[in-house]
Amino acid sequence: MSLLRTEGLQKNFGGVAAVDDCSIAVEAGEILGLIGPNGSGKTTLLNILSGFLAPDAGSVWLADERVTGMSPVQLARRGLLRMFQMSRVFTRISAFDNMLTAGLAMGLAESEAESRAATLFEELTLTHVQYLDAGQLSGGQRKLLEFGMCFIAPPAIALLDEPFAAVHPVMRETMARFIRSRHALGQTFVLVSHDMPIIVDLCQRAVCMNAGRVIAEGATRAVLESAAVIEAYLGSSAHV
Amino acid sequence: MSEVNNTRGNLWVNRLKKDFRASLAVVLLLCFAPLVVTTPYSFGILIVSIYFALLALGWNLLAGFTGQFSLAPAAFAMLGAYTTALLDYHLQTPLSIGIPAAIFGTAVLGWLLGRVVLRLTGPYLSLTTLSFAEIARVVVGNSIEFTRGDQGLNVPTLFENRIGYYYLFLMVLVATLVLLYLLMKSRTGRFWLAIRDDATGAESRGIDVVRYKTLAFSLSCAICGLAGSLYGTFSQLVSPELGLLMQTGLVISMVVIGGMGTLTGPIVGAMLVYLASEWMRDFGGIQMIVFSAAVILFARFLRTGLWGLASKMMQGKGKP
Repeated sequence: MSLLRTEGLQKNFGGVAAVDDCSIAVEAGEILGLIGPNGSGKTTLLNILSGFLAPDAGSVWLADERVTGMSPVQLARRGLLRMFQMSRVFTRISAFDNMLTAGLAMGLAESEAESRAATLFEELTLTHVQYLDAGQLSGGQRKLLEFGMCFIAPPAIALLDEPFAAVHPVMRETMARFIRSRHALGQTFVLVSHDMPIIVDLCQRAVCMNAGRVIAEGATRAVLESAAVIEAYLGSSAHV
Repeated sequence: MSEVNNTRGNLWVNRLKKDFRASLAVVLLLCFAPLVVTTPYSFGILIVSIYFALLALGWNLLAGFTGQFSLAPAAFAMLGAYTTALLDYHLQTPLSIGIPAAIFGTAVLGWLLGRVVLRLTGPYLSLTTLSFAEIARVVVGNSIEFTRGDQGLNVPTLFENRIGYYYLFLMVLVATLVLLYLLMKSRTGRFWLAIRDDATGAESRGIDVVRYKTLAFSLSCAICGLAGSLYGTFSQLVSPELGLLMQTGLVISMVVIGGMGTLTGPIVGAMLVYLASEWMRDFGGIQMIVFSAAVILFARFLRTGLWGLASKMMQGKGKP
């Protein structure tokens, strides 16, 4: 049974179908790449999966539980944790306090959250800025911090929306290394990215969306080489 | 630009401890005020200052710690005062029940208001709380049969002498400070700060924003209700004037000048602003002009308020 799956998801904004009859499945322990041109519905799909949007039709299943329409809090407590495209950290408290708050929100005891936070700061090479207010970190450091906050209590699935966008190459590599190491331990990821080399490097499978619909899915390389995906990214003249 | 502090001192728990100690030091100083203040009039001014300090702490819990800019603290003080007064007037309920009833009543009303404004932010939240405050004041003022309208209601007193009241208000101030310190140090306080900084981000981490926002509303209103109830027994008269928007304006200026999102700031701000307000009484109605100008200056140049400035100076002195 898939760890996470959607069946016929539909979400319209006015007359526009942002997500249109979308059915995908995420297997336990895989890194699934979710790709597609801008406006293809990837973030809307993530918003539905993480409970920030309710679908107009269709359903979402986490293992054998129907979680359609559950709130972000209910889903977070079931281990569906999400990282946003524009980082959402708590800017007026220190980076360490951010991590600690994330741990407490997941039900960890304070001492446990502190020790895990310290380990995560080391793994993410952020120890040198851990006591700075999160608002004083660079954009990349904030992304790395939010990324780390998803892992203070290992999630069932980490939904990562453009984690590598506008991030310094060294930090990108830190993040990629972290994903590889957690994947080796069985962690499941859904990774939205426009960065194809990273998608190829990290993801075993990929799903490509365009105009709200799934236009290709399967092994990452096969998806990237499919005619429908090339056309979606480059236009129909790419075939000429 | 804000100061960069990359030491353990910048951890929330350490900042809070320092702030709490400073707030207790201010209260300790106030304990000795009777050594220099002797006239009943001066005692009255100090007692009202502490009443405002309680309102400022209550409002700061919402605006400074949770990011909910309510415009109803004075209305809740009025509602607290009227709960005690009405129970006495209609049912001859003793103050030992009337005062807790004020706390409970305003907590419930605050919870309800919190539910109403749950999805509102920024100006919409402020305008809704302002509307609630004005409706409450007008209803109290016009329900002449029930509240005696603008004539107000007499309330029995707790103490015959002002020094007793002074120390009662100080004790309530300390109790409120301890409660807020313990809450802000706990999970609940951390979640409030997270909601203040980014409610969506907090929700995505699994923080129940609905629950913690309504809890903050309820507690903030209960603190204001208690302050109002005690003030009513001190002045022995409650009237709709307690809920005037100008009173809320004073509370906001106290917190902004003292330092939002701190424990010491609202107390220092309340003492300074109210004492200055009394001093300026001789110069006509210029208090609000002066305080409004001060708020503009602080908002523009010193957002952390006086306590923020003092902390920065202490931090600077501590550097090798």
